[in-house]
Amino acid sequence: MSGNGNRFPRGQAAIVGIGCTEFSKNSGVSTFALATRAIRAAVADAGLGIGEIDGFCTYGTADSVSPNLLAQAFGIQSLNYYVDQYLGGSVSMSVIGQATLAVSAGIADCVVCYRAINGRSEIRKNGAGAGPARAPWDIQFKMPSGYMVPAQEMAMNARAHMLRYGTTSEDLGRIAVLSRTNALDNERAMMRKPITLDDYMASEWIAEPFHKLDCCLETDGAVAVVIVNAERARDLPHRPVLIQGAAWGGGISIANNGFDELAESPARPIAERLFNAAGMGAEDIDFAEFYDCFTYPVLSQIEGYGFCKAGEVPDMLKDGAFDRAGGKLPINTHGGLLSEGYIHGMNHVYEAVQQIRGDAAHRQVKKHDVALVTGQLGYVSGYSSATILRGA
Amino acid sequence: MAERLVKPIPDRDTVAYWQALADGKMVVTHCRDCGHWTWPPRPICSGCHGDNLALDEVKGTGTVYSWIVVHRSTTPDMMQYVPYTLALVRLDEQADIYIPGRFISDMDVRRGMKVRVRPERITDQLGDLAWTTEGMPA
Repeated sequence: MSGNGNRFPRGQAAIVGIGCTEFSKNSGVSTFALATRAIRAAVADAGLGIGEIDGFCTYGTADSVSPNLLAQAFGIQSLNYYVDQYLGGSVSMSVIGQATLAVSAGIADCVVCYRAINGRSEIRKNGAGAGPARAPWDIQFKMPSGYMVPAQEMAMNARAHMLRYGTTSEDLGRIAVLSRTNALDNERAMMRKPITLDDYMASEWIAEPFHKLDCCLETDGAVAVVIVNAERARDLPHRPVLIQGAAWGGGISIANNGFDELAESPARPIAERLFNAAGMGAEDIDFAEFYDCFTYPVLSQIEGYGFCKAGEVPDMLKDGAFDRAGGKLPINTHGGLLSEGYIHGMNHVYEAVQQIRGDAAHRQVKKHDVALVTGQLGYVSGYSSATILRGA
Repeated sequence: MAERLVKPIPDRDTVAYWQALADGKMVVTHCRDCGHWTWPPRPICSGCHGDNLALDEVKGTGTVYSWIVVHRSTTPDMMQYVPYTLALVRLDEQADIYIPGRFISDMDVRRGMKVRVRPERITDQLGDLAWTTEGMPA
């Protein structure tokens, strides 16, 4: 049957190059410049030339450089493929899936997926600077009441989980501390000062039950990855990182009639389709880079992707199940959006590729063949996306 | 009249919804064929996918499902209210409709609390809603 993920071109494309810029509070340059730097680095890492690029896939909220401008800048006469996907973290892994479809179908030979963002120094979606013309339609039913940013929406769902399962602030705090701990020895990370659970509890409220340390960073920077077909990948310098599966589509939001439990993980449907696409299950995943715009979505995704039953994450956190060194399922090994930086999820792909290659140095996890990398789990826009990467 | 810098941007699907709130009424899209309520006011019934729809006034009552307390305002005009409570309310007409709004009460918010709508006039054409409890001024 088509439509359940089974016909995804499993393992037929591979990430062969990765590149990034510095992650900072103020890049001092345009998103155009950031994108070109990350793309140049990624293509060089792949052992390829700029002239071989024939596709670009990106996403954003009208806050970044588009594929046509990059084609002009790089002297690409005609792209064979492009995606300029509207929206943010929810669609972050859809570009990986789209590039895989294009490359495996032979529509394009060398597709670069990128995200360039001046999230700290320039514009951010839903901020006061964003024009209403680009605001999603459903925002109008929240924003007059001052209910308009993802921190507030995710906090509303976190409260529902607390009411149903007894989840506490300390449980969420352990996710913040884990992420920070993983960032300490990451040379790319913006936040390299240790935090304790006490620091977390003492950090100011943003949208109760979310403290400041439940919220991710705002970052200037760019990440790019190069995708070619799996056969060609074998001749390139690095261990090919195969796109074993990808899924993207509708998730769940409060505007879905018929949905009646906000404590339930909205990641479930995308998880099921992703595992079908990959021909794998949760037990096959060695480590995971979860989209962590806030702490709670990490908890919800661990449940939604089937690594445990609902309500079991707090005890697993206490037992170190997700610790980078020695955990059963190391997560957010670079510090994530919470502590490495917010390149809208594309930095998760960069880290996963480094880990799969065995190039993560002091951050290297022991089992590093299969990674789950996710986009936003579906609460905010109703979209979600995710991919499973496997070392060849 | 409430002073608001951030206002709804009505379109052809939503102008009557915001007008009703400005006029002190809460209306929800109601299907003439199957009786299903659809919120937000979409141009199609989410129950039967027909378009024999009307905006009907609802009782304006519901129960609190979840809530947050906003300490950091994201819009300049909400700064005066910080910290304010936002409640997600399940409408009595249909349990799968959750409508967010500012919670205004002298009681502590909790799940299951009965609330009723308090429309707020922003302009002659635009309204908003808040949720309040019995005994609070309308």
